[in-house]
Amino acid sequence: MIGVILKISARNVWRQKKRSFLLAGAIAFGMFVITAINGLTGGVVDNIRVNFSHALGGHVFISGSEYLDRGTIVYRIADDEKLLTALQQNGESIAAVTRRSQAMPSLIFGSRQAMQLVYGVDFQQEDKLLGSLVVTGGSLKDVTNEQLIILPRSVAERLGVEAGETILMRLDTVTGQRNVGEFVVVALIEDQERYGISAAYVNRGYLNTLVGLGLEDYQALNLFLTDMEQADALGQSFRAALGVPEPKRLAEVQDMDDEEAMAAMFGFTRASEVEPWEGIKYQVTTINQIMEPVEAAVNALKTIGLAIFIILLVITMVGITNTFRMIMIERTKEIGTMRAFGMQRGVVRNVFLMEALLLSAGGALAGLIAYGLAAFILGRISWDTVPAMQFFLDQGRITFTASFREITFNTSLILAMGLLAAYFPAKAAAKLSPVKAMSSNL
Amino acid sequence: MAIIELADVHKIYTLGKTEVHAVKGVSFEIASGEFASIIGPSGSGKSTILNLIGCIDQPNSGVVRINGTATSGMSDRQLTTLRHQTLGFIFQSFNLIPVLNVYENIEFPLLLGKTSVPKGEVRDWISYLIEQVGLHDHIHHRPNELSGGQRQRVAIARALVTRPAIVLADEPTANLDSKTGQSILELMKKMNAELNTTFIFSTHDSSIVGLTDHVIRLLDGTIVEEVYQKADRDTEAMS
Repeated sequence: MIGVILKISARNVWRQKKRSFLLAGAIAFGMFVITAINGLTGGVVDNIRVNFSHALGGHVFISGSEYLDRGTIVYRIADDEKLLTALQQNGESIAAVTRRSQAMPSLIFGSRQAMQLVYGVDFQQEDKLLGSLVVTGGSLKDVTNEQLIILPRSVAERLGVEAGETILMRLDTVTGQRNVGEFVVVALIEDQERYGISAAYVNRGYLNTLVGLGLEDYQALNLFLTDMEQADALGQSFRAALGVPEPKRLAEVQDMDDEEAMAAMFGFTRASEVEPWEGIKYQVTTINQIMEPVEAAVNALKTIGLAIFIILLVITMVGITNTFRMIMIERTKEIGTMRAFGMQRGVVRNVFLMEALLLSAGGALAGLIAYGLAAFILGRISWDTVPAMQFFLDQGRITFTASFREITFNTSLILAMGLLAAYFPAKAAAKLSPVKAMSSNL
Repeated sequence: MAIIELADVHKIYTLGKTEVHAVKGVSFEIASGEFASIIGPSGSGKSTILNLIGCIDQPNSGVVRINGTATSGMSDRQLTTLRHQTLGFIFQSFNLIPVLNVYENIEFPLLLGKTSVPKGEVRDWISYLIEQVGLHDHIHHRPNELSGGQRQRVAIARALVTRPAIVLADEPTANLDSKTGQSILELMKKMNAELNTTFIFSTHDSSIVGLTDHVIRLLDGTIVEEVYQKADRDTEAMS
């Protein structure tokens, strides 16, 4: 019987091409909008995650600090035996390791100065970082100069410095001495300050010298994984090996004040609660923890998208209901004939429902095809000329990542709402008395 | 043996505040294999009686028996099954399904049944019917590509496809010219003879009743005359 229902429904849909096209078109538009929102936000989150990981130098970040006798806290990993053992145990999941130092010095050029976070990196091992930086002045071709500095454009503008010029860096050593170094600006890069990353990059060895660390010392060991999805699992494994407590998730710290929340999420010690400790105290952070606030914002956007989608669907549903009421009136005699020949009420109802299902499925499919085309075309366009967008892009191109789960959910929602919209007209059609239907003048 | 039996059947329609007594205590029987006609002017109750026999309407009182079974008290599902298994319909305005072609229109009632018939057998039977109604060149045509006479031939084949015991035809020639109408009646008569299916048709044209075995003449919802012509013809033939 399902074959008969399908055959009649398909032909009924086809007999009023313009009407079917308009209804399916409205459904397709809704499907296109929601899938495009999901795809775009999904792609943006992925790209931000990748770009963040490149800028921060990994997917899992391990930093260490020591408590010195005189009450000073020094951020460094000097004795890394424990860490190297953990690294060896998880070797299969790790694609690359980077070691970094960092400082918050004053950069001085002429009479101007600016505070700026500076990472000390090994440029020879940080090709992913170099590949992700958007250069707006100078060049990254030669990074062999020991005293080079790569500067965010906004900082360079504040200082009034250009590529090729020399600036001074004034900072405190780990023991509290003041020190000054000289750096040559080799490149200016697009600033990502608004997204929480604004850093200048220098050679780790030279920075270590300036802050009083050994040449091979480092403050953070960052891990690039073979599969980014494993970040949480690997973070957990390192925490277990280094005796770091598990951090709380964003949802769990909603009621805490900022300081308390940061302490709970990232393992920072509250200034008021610092107590002396022996050896190295580690912090293990993953890219997913850093991305949690971004994902929360994206989820809010997705919720808005879903609300728009549902509003569009409700409007379309009203259209479908009215159209099916009209169809029922148009086909009254036909329904009577089919009932006369022995078509049960349930089958009449199912013919209508199948029509709605076909229209909805056709619309959903068309929406997905339109999304695929739009994603393909937009993905071919290079946005390299818009530096502010680079953090959202994959090498200058927009990417779309709509998950199978989201597509399945949206399609199911469309089908369910289509069926619901046609249900009452279908029920009314099934209830038509054959004799009244046959005597209809329509 | 009577395949259709009506006993003191009344049917009243309510149109707003007015009650229309369409059928007033009608009683008759139709034997299996008869080619019967119900004749009367417009409003005499012909279509109402066919609807009652066809189980698409129910009497207010009286009994309608099809194959010995009273239809009153049956559920909609039972009546629908009875229609599918026992009855075929031919309508004045053909009522073909516009989205289906000739073959599919004829096949349609078969698809509504639960019994599974081998595809080859179905194809042979439909081809036979199409051949009988003379539409073998129009198998793939849609109803809007056919003339009125051709559409009614499709309707006849469709009415017969489930091999029903009874075919009801409500003014089957009313929308056709007299020549085409005559050929349709001759076709119905031929199928009646070949398949031994009981045919009952309504008409207001007295001139075509000569073809029928059994004539029921109605006026204002009551039977004014009932004639068994087959018996007369058989008697004439014997003498």
